[in-house]
Formats: sequence, C-alpha cells, structure tokens
Amino acid sequence: MSFTLRSVKVPPNSVSLEEARHRVFDFFRAACRSIPTIMDIYNLQDVVAPSHLRSVVAAEIRKHSSVTNPKVIDMLLFKAMEELNNITEHAKQRHHIIGQYVVGREGLLQDTGTKDQGASDFLKEFYKTNYF
Amino acid sequence: MALKAALLRHVRVPVQTLNPGLSLTLTGAKWGLPSLRWMSSHDDHLSKNEVTERVLSVVKSFPKVDPSTVTPEVHFQKDLGLDSLDNVEIVMALEEEFKLEIPDKEADKIDSTNLAIEYIYNHPMAG
Repeated sequence: MSFTLRSVKVPPNSVSLEEARHRVFDFFRAACRSIPTIMDIYNLQDVVAPSHLRSVVAAEIRKHSSVTNPKVIDMLLFKAMEELNNITEHAKQRHHIIGQYVVGREGLLQDTGTKDQGASDFLKEFYKTNYF
Repeated sequence: MALKAALLRHVRVPVQTLNPGLSLTLTGAKWGLPSLRWMSSHDDHLSKNEVTERVLSVVKSFPKVDPSTVTPEVHFQKDLGLDSLDNVEIVMALEEEFKLEIPDKEADKIDSTNLAIEYIYNHPMAG
C-alpha cells in the first residue's frame, strides 16, 4: 500500500478549479479506502469507528472549503497526500493518530465538567487561552 | 469409461445393501440435496428489500442527516441538504457496508438513495 502510493509522481498543476475539485474527491476516496489498513496497523478497532475517521478526514478537507485558487488546492492536496503516505507506511505511532484524529482538536485533556463548576466564565476562558 | 462406471456401480451397491448405517450417513441430508451447492457463492445475491434497508440505515446513521427525513427516494444534496463532500462520504460508507469498490465515474453519479439502491442491487459482488 505505502509503496504503491509513494510511486505515484507529483501530478502537474490542476488547470481549473473543477479539476482540482475532482482531485480532492479522488484523494478523499483514497483516504477512505485506506482506513481499514490504518485501523489495522495502529490497532484502532476498540478506539474509533471507521465512520468517525471518515468524518474527520472530511472535516479536515472542509476546513479549506473556502479556497478557490487551484494552485493552493494542489499544494494542500500534496500535503494531504504526504500525511496519508506517512500514516499508511507506519511512520507514525498510535498516539499520534489518536491525538490528532480520534480525540481531535479538543486535546487530550477533555473537560468533563465536574471540577471547575464553581469557577467564573472569565476563569474558564482564562484556563483555555489568554487571547480572548 | 463405461467399464469404470459399471465397476463403481458394482462396488457401491453392496455397500448400500450390506451396511445401511453407512449409506445413511453418505446419502443423508448433508449430501443428498443436489440443488444446494455447499460453499458455492451462486445463490447469495441480496434481495431488493435487504439492500434498501441497509442503504437507508447507512444514510440514517450519517451524523448530519435527520433520520426521520430519509426515504428510499431521497436526494442527498437537494433533500437532505448535504454538500458534494458529504455525498462522497456516504458513497464511501456504502462501499464499506457492502464490501464493494465503486469506480470513481459511477460513484460520481450516485447522488440519491434510489440510485444507490439500484446500483448496489445490480452489482454482482455486493455482500
């Protein structure tokens, strides 16, 4: 799997937005089809469902949905392909995958809500970030 | 060939007559039904109802979809308010559910539950 993906050459730039769009969908399909392999090599069966990983990949793509420049889309696709390659050839460890894609942006320390109930809103915001 | 058949018939007959217990096991329910081929994959294609039910359950379990709005004729983008990426995601979920690999050109055409049911029902490898 990893070597077949690696042997793919960097494609020429997309001529139009439509072509770039198609490439994004092709990448999404490739990523979805490699999810079973990924779950296998990182032992994710009891941590996450394939559908959740699919949604995470879709969410990562949707983050850049406002980009309309085909060159920028190509660059993002290149980075996405690089990331997928690294994951499928086991260049990462299990906690990378779990931290980045299973637990997600909320971070590993999830607030379960019991310990700082008495704190003011200001303090809660302050614990999260001092930029507000 | 004729000799072999005659010899086999000759050999087999005494076994059946002399040892009814053995003949019972050989021609019992497991081996005696010529219509049912064991370990053959010919007669296991899915029924239309089963395909419909499973396609609908996949669409209903999609997080952005309100399960009560899903019917067998619903269009993903017009009726359910999904975008093209969600559409691809649903098709990939269907691929996983039915253990298929739908080629990209055909996957692009699947944009409603009706088309998805039709495609999967006509696919010989759907399981």
